Amino acid sequence: MELSFEQRCLLWLSTAEIPAKRVASLTARYGSAEEIWRRYGEISITSAHKNKAILDEYHNPEAIDRLVERLEKSHVHLLFQSDDRYPLLLNEIQDPPYLLYYSGNLSCLQMPCIAVVGTRTPSEYGRHMARVLGRDLAQAGVCVVSGLARGIDIAAHQGVLDADGTTVGILGSGINVPYPSEHAPTMRKIAGGKGLILSEFPLDATPTTYHFPYRNRIISGLCVATVFVEGRIKSGGMHTVSSALDQGREVFAVPGQTGYLGAEGPLAIMREGARLITGAADILEDLAIVPRKQQAASQSMTANALSPVQKQIAELLRIEPMSIDDLSVRSGLNTELLISETGLMEIMGLIRREAGNRFVVNL
Amino acid sequence: MLAKSITCGLEGVNGFLVEVEAYISNGMMGFDIVGLPSAAVKESRDRVRAALLNSGLEFPFGKVTVNLAPADVRKEGTSYELAVAVALIAAKGSVQLQGLESTMLLGELSLQGRLMPVRGALAMAITAVENGVKQLILPGVNAKEVACIEGIDVIPAETLAQVCEHLSGQSTLTAQPVIGYNQLMHAANLSSDLKDVKGQSLARSALEVAAAGGHNLLMIGVPGSGKTMLARCLPGILPPLTYEESLETTLIHSASGELAVDSSLLTQRPFRAPHHNVSVPAMIGGGAKAKPGEVSLAHNGVLFLDELPEFQRMTLEALRQPLEDGAVNVTRVNGQNRYMSRCMLIAGMNPCPCGNFGSKRKNCTCTSGEIKRYLARISGPLLDRIDMQVEMDAVTVEEIETSLPQEDSTTVRQRVIAARERQLNRYQGSHIYCNAQLDQQTLDRYCLMDPSAKELLLQAVHRFGLSMRSYARIRKVALTIADLAGSDVVRREHVARAIQFRNVQGQYWK
Repeated sequence: MELSFEQRCLLWLSTAEIPAKRVASLTARYGSAEEIWRRYGEISITSAHKNKAILDEYHNPEAIDRLVERLEKSHVHLLFQSDDRYPLLLNEIQDPPYLLYYSGNLSCLQMPCIAVVGTRTPSEYGRHMARVLGRDLAQAGVCVVSGLARGIDIAAHQGVLDADGTTVGILGSGINVPYPSEHAPTMRKIAGGKGLILSEFPLDATPTTYHFPYRNRIISGLCVATVFVEGRIKSGGMHTVSSALDQGREVFAVPGQTGYLGAEGPLAIMREGARLITGAADILEDLAIVPRKQQAASQSMTANALSPVQKQIAELLRIEPMSIDDLSVRSGLNTELLISETGLMEIMGLIRREAGNRFVVNL
Repeated sequence: MLAKSITCGLEGVNGFLVEVEAYISNGMMGFDIVGLPSAAVKESRDRVRAALLNSGLEFPFGKVTVNLAPADVRKEGTSYELAVAVALIAAKGSVQLQGLESTMLLGELSLQGRLMPVRGALAMAITAVENGVKQLILPGVNAKEVACIEGIDVIPAETLAQVCEHLSGQSTLTAQPVIGYNQLMHAANLSSDLKDVKGQSLARSALEVAAAGGHNLLMIGVPGSGKTMLARCLPGILPPLTYEESLETTLIHSASGELAVDSSLLTQRPFRAPHHNVSVPAMIGGGAKAKPGEVSLAHNGVLFLDELPEFQRMTLEALRQPLEDGAVNVTRVNGQNRYMSRCMLIAGMNPCPCGNFGSKRKNCTCTSGEIKRYLARISGPLLDRIDMQVEMDAVTVEEIETSLPQEDSTTVRQRVIAARERQLNRYQGSHIYCNAQLDQQTLDRYCLMDPSAKELLLQAVHRFGLSMRSYARIRKVALTIADLAGSDVVRREHVARAIQFRNVQGQYWK
């Protein structure tokens, strides 16, 4: 990795996690990062002792050399703000990161990007919606951006992987510290395939709480639009939405059930004017994105393919998820028949089974 | 001054004939038992002496030697005491005893001279019949246990004095009548009935299919969804225990001392539900005397493991072989025994550590990592031995109140018996007796599928990304469903039902 002196100085600042805003004001004052490096003794860069110690430690060319070597060994690359490949949309935001660490395929940032975000503890419905949105957006040729967290985030990434699409995961920790650890295999799959793993934080940064708001501004900043699937009023998802609004980006919300805490966030932003969406098609239409390829023949319930019993089951399941017992009570059909019919419909992909053995209509 | 009597020893679940020889010689007063007696048998000297004296009989004067033949097999337990006492009376010669060579004597003695119950009476009675012994005298408490045994006079006795009078012809004890197994069966009543299970039609159906094909079943459900209750219903819908099965099972229970006091042959399939802190020896068999474990006590019945992930991993792993082979070899310093262990495994577990994953009413508070770790406690190889899985949610009070009357166990049992008969006919001449035992090759031979059923199954494999193993499991289960429906070929609807009982892989095991 060949780095200019200016770039090495920025890497030095990044190692101590000096925020983008601070670096912007310092460079405005002193002209360049080089100048900050040279006049390190007389400039107060940060007031945090920990960060000062790191700045001291790396304020020597050999330490930076070693750091670069380590980055190369971990296959982690650097993307500076000055780089041609730096995403234009991200550059437009108020405090664009001066340095991004990445692993994977940078070209996905050239595609139209849409963020899918939400709570770490979603309902079964929310999880399913995120996955379906991820899948359908990917099939339409959109790059899906999310935060690799538990719940909605990972479901969206998973949906993209289901469709063999392109996805970008943005971490609130260093790339060498996959968080949460159980998502490490998925991250490897993303970075090793068409996707990209991105972080503003140095290689070994731990996932500290204050990192996540910084991360959220990158998620929304990379994207033309942000879809809020599920989350409370005070939640990370809401934060991402508000930074998207600050950045002047489009915001969409997935409707949930009134009274359900996880639906509060999306419902609140809808009230404020966010667009309600029921599927990827709504988003694509709104943003005037022409799907890259025609979607595979939809397996929606075509009336003539179903037997009368199956039609009846499908009708009931549209009301709410039901177990065999519920179906039996509502339809009056015997359970034997219902068990085999629902099995058949599940194989056909018309319905699916949720935890607790309730059936729901596939979207 | 030499006399002989006959008694019986116990090794594993099998009895072996023991001859008790008593010899009284002149010399220093003394009483010795030889022939590899254990500590308990040595101790019996004092009991025998006291019992004789308290029964108004004399203890021989002189040097007394008692030999237990065969002398090279270790003698455990206290069942020899009656035979030792009787041999001593005969050797002393003050009372003339008849028929000792064709009488088996079993019983522990109290100091008072009363007969105390013994362990393994059934196995010993069978040994007696096999060896042509004509009468069996044993403690009254044990009499019921052997009531079904034919070909021998079973004479229950209460005290040593009674036995002595009987053998000397002063008064006769009466042999107890043989109680046929059918009569016993008649008296059996079921503890749990399916008609009391509300809702849960999918799980009920799963239980019926599992019973019909001998498939192992895993029930995943929130606490209070009725997993245990359903499992308890299983013995009642399995075919009735046959006489041979009952003997096999009672032998194991009798030998391990698990049989309740005053109980007869088992007429109901055993239902064993060991707590999840059970150790490997307790599960498989072991201990100093290589006693049978839970898996053998459940022979011909049901082994129910509630809270499956809470069991020690070692215990679960050790279960694999007995479940596969239907028998387990337990080897210890003091013995090696082979116990049958042909049981159905029914397991219950929560879907996650907090138990509420997938519940309609409560939210799960577990992280995906926690759930993963919880589920990882059950190994893949064990899961491979479980053909069927079913998920259950709690039934609400309203649902219980409004639920329609359900089928009772007897009706379901009729169908299960019919399905089992179909299987026995199909597998005549092979070592297979139920669908659960089919492997890949036998499955290809016996599982005839409708072309449309095959097509549907392939579609399912594609849709759910099923492994070769789960593919085979679904075919087995579909075959059982076809048997229940009385169909010779597996049809589409059978496959569709079998699909419902597949591993819930997407949600739980990836």
